[in-house]
Amino acid sequence: MLQVSNLHKSFQSGKTGCTVLRGVSLQVDSGEFVAVMGPSGSGKTTLLNCISRYLTPDSGSILLDDTDLSALEESELAAVRNQKFGFVFQDFLLLDGLTVRDNIMLPRIIGGKIDSSMEREADELCALFGISHIRDKYPAEISGGEKQRTAVARALINRPSLILADEPTGNLDSKSSRAVIDSFLRAQHERNTAVFMVTHDSFAASFCDRVIVLQDGTVRWSLMRGGQGRRAFQDCLLSKIRELGEVDRV
Amino acid sequence: MTSLSQVFSALRRKDRRQEMLLFGCLMFSTLLMTAYCMMMYSPTVQNTLPEGGDSRKQVMMIFVLAIISCGAFVLYASGLFLRQKSHDVGILLALGAPRTTLMHQLRRNLLVLASCACAAGMALGTPLSWLIWSLFRLTLADTPEMVLIFDFRAYGIPLVFTGFVLAALSVMLSRFLGRIHVLDIITESHRAEPVHAVPRWFGLLGILLIVTGGLLGYFTPVFCVRILHWYPPESLTAIFYLPALAGLYLLLLHTVVNDWHRGRSRYTHLVSTSMMQFQGQQTVRNMLVVTVLTAGALFSAFYVPMMVTPAQLGIQNRPADYSFFYRADQNLPDQLEIEQLAQQHGVTVTDFVSQPTASLAIDGFEEVETKRAVGITYIDEYRECLSECRFLSEHAWNTLTGDNLDLAPGTVTAVYDSEGGSVGMIPNEVTQVTNPVTGKSLSVLSVEPVLRHDLLFGCRVMDDSDYAAVTAGLPDAWRETQVFFQAEHDSYPFAKALFSEIVSRSGPETALCDGYDRICRARTIASGEKYFFDPENSELFGVSVIRFDQSDSSAFRLNWLYMPQFRTLDQADFLTTMAVFLLLFTFVSILCLSAVAVILFSRSMTLVMINAWVYDDLRKLGASNQYLRTTLRGQIARVFRAPILTGTLLILGFDLLILLGNGEGGITFYEWMGLVSCLAVAVAVLLLLYGLYRLTLRSARLFLGIR
Repeated sequence: MLQVSNLHKSFQSGKTGCTVLRGVSLQVDSGEFVAVMGPSGSGKTTLLNCISRYLTPDSGSILLDDTDLSALEESELAAVRNQKFGFVFQDFLLLDGLTVRDNIMLPRIIGGKIDSSMEREADELCALFGISHIRDKYPAEISGGEKQRTAVARALINRPSLILADEPTGNLDSKSSRAVIDSFLRAQHERNTAVFMVTHDSFAASFCDRVIVLQDGTVRWSLMRGGQGRRAFQDCLLSKIRELGEVDRV
Repeated sequence: MTSLSQVFSALRRKDRRQEMLLFGCLMFSTLLMTAYCMMMYSPTVQNTLPEGGDSRKQVMMIFVLAIISCGAFVLYASGLFLRQKSHDVGILLALGAPRTTLMHQLRRNLLVLASCACAAGMALGTPLSWLIWSLFRLTLADTPEMVLIFDFRAYGIPLVFTGFVLAALSVMLSRFLGRIHVLDIITESHRAEPVHAVPRWFGLLGILLIVTGGLLGYFTPVFCVRILHWYPPESLTAIFYLPALAGLYLLLLHTVVNDWHRGRSRYTHLVSTSMMQFQGQQTVRNMLVVTVLTAGALFSAFYVPMMVTPAQLGIQNRPADYSFFYRADQNLPDQLEIEQLAQQHGVTVTDFVSQPTASLAIDGFEEVETKRAVGITYIDEYRECLSECRFLSEHAWNTLTGDNLDLAPGTVTAVYDSEGGSVGMIPNEVTQVTNPVTGKSLSVLSVEPVLRHDLLFGCRVMDDSDYAAVTAGLPDAWRETQVFFQAEHDSYPFAKALFSEIVSRSGPETALCDGYDRICRARTIASGEKYFFDPENSELFGVSVIRFDQSDSSAFRLNWLYMPQFRTLDQADFLTTMAVFLLLFTFVSILCLSAVAVILFSRSMTLVMINAWVYDDLRKLGASNQYLRTTLRGQIARVFRAPILTGTLLILGFDLLILLGNGEGGITFYEWMGLVSCLAVAVAVLLLLYGLYRLTLRSARLFLGIR
């Protein structure tokens, strides 16, 4: 479904250039839950921003269902972001002036798909992620975990094929983190949505089908969970990460 | 909620405070401008301030500064508004909202908001100017000529300003949404604007440039005129002030980025300094605007004390209670009539003296001007009959002043004011005196010491025999009578009655402006030109017309050639006579100060809002309320202190420079007193701004929840 090939990205800071991605290639299949881990500065968030085309890659291709995102115009990209992607950010990026329910409906409103099903689906998503009781509250009135579940619900309202999540549990306590991961798993199992999650958190990553580890802008290795239990997969992940010698947070 | 426009409406409800802030800024700027224009373009002010006169130039200069400042302030407020919007807009873009739709929505919202704000400002500007004007008339002075007449052409500039605001907002919005990266837009509201490393010597260089620019700007025109005999265009000489502006920028930059604190105290202000650094560009720009506006406000405010103090002291220290002179061909009240009038008012006339004077032609050098591609050059050409001058015999001088002057035949000497303010303005270089009617000339030598008298300055004194010889055959139209007397139990009604009597008995041939010179007129007309002071040319040259039926107007009292100098009358009517000037400059000062107050308050609160997270982090790090208060004070004090003090010092220095540059006698006692009054005004303004600072600090503490 998502095919990233030989992606390069560098930044210029004054006279100094800094290459962040050095030929990253990866693939995400439909309905797959993939985590990307790696030490700080390895290029995880840059990779995510290039896939979503918030950043323009220097070279390489990004194919989403056979559409080359790197060749799209701004207006076409906007449509892809609205219809094909769902976004979940570390700091939630909810609009403070809208209620939880309105925030969830926002991608539908932006996409112009406003029909009787919109509110019903928003309510279903609220129920799915256990936030029905706060649906008329504003972001300032709810907890971090609730905000992030709202963000996940918002990401799903347009039934995207892929959720891009940037450190979705980074600002949450363990209970809220678990609730968010559960949200992703529900989206995966009940809607066949693929999830591409950048994280530092091995606990969160241990729920994924596959974990890709980046180092110095390249894919160092990719680990399949297969039939392993979650705890065994996390142990396996931790031992692999230790091998890298640079563990930021476990 | 079923459409993007409804999303916008919901977001606007949340952003109402920001919208109100932008609305307020736009309305306030247009309000100030409209009020200013209404007053400036009213026939009331246009008729009072002569075209090309210093007062008109000063008011226009401050007006231009105010417009530029309002423009800068509006751009700042608009930029801030967009920055605050960027988070929401960025999210909408990230979620796939088309840029064109967002642009359309935002543009419509912004343009409607800006148009309403500007319209409200224009609508309220007229009543505001009328209100301030009426309050002034009610509390200070009221004359028939002070009726404020509105001219609808005054809406021209505010309309142009509104156009500028709408265009600027459109361009800023296009640039804002035209960014390639969505992430840039999302993070725009949190983007810091560090000023790059600033060497510590920028502060001292700034001060040096300010002083150099001030001196260069002021003395370059003097140098051009006196040494090069060239009147350069003002737009050219104004360039020499630019180093002062650059210096001001460097000084403020250094203050924001480096701070003036040294040693350990530097660490006390480290956090507030660092917060200021990250809002550097906009802070320095705002400070520059506030400095200029503060200087403008004080320059206008100083006009009143600089005019009132020396004038009142001068009136107080006149050697005679009553002084007037009149042409010998006029039938004005004599001693007996004056004493009878005084008696009717219970006043006793004492020390009455009256002596003849004569208007003769003196020689000198005329500036013959030639228009050049850039400016005007002139050469000095000698004229045997250059201008008209009142002469007294030494006997008349001694009788009027009680002096014991004995001039040698063939010598003359000039009379300056007692303070010496006119030294350098009246040349003491006369070599020939001519009877303008008979043509008889007398070679003379101008001698020292010059004489000093506040009621006779501008006159010249000569030996009795020379006076008799040169004035022989001079008709009464060229002769005058000078009268001095004191008054016991003096009263305003007597002074007013005598003034009215003099005015009513003066013939139409004496309805002339101060400065009217018959010798000069004859030469001008002979060369085929129109004379500047002829009443029929008043409209052409923008000169006040003397009308006896308006003897209480400023134009009459300030400009009549034969205006009597009565201490009681002048003291009582001073405010009325100067009312239009005082009101105009007070009004300008109030407008500039209002702008300063709004900019300082909004800038400070913005800084606090932007840095609120820093205060939260400081709390997490264990900062006490005391520390937070000190940091907050340091941050807000810097926004206030540097521009206000710089603006105040700049304008005090500039006024000092003007006084030093005027005449060659240095600063007189009266002028020093005027400066002291200016200092008092400056202290009062500073106290007002200190009150605003305390208010801002209180609001900021409430916002941040610092106890």
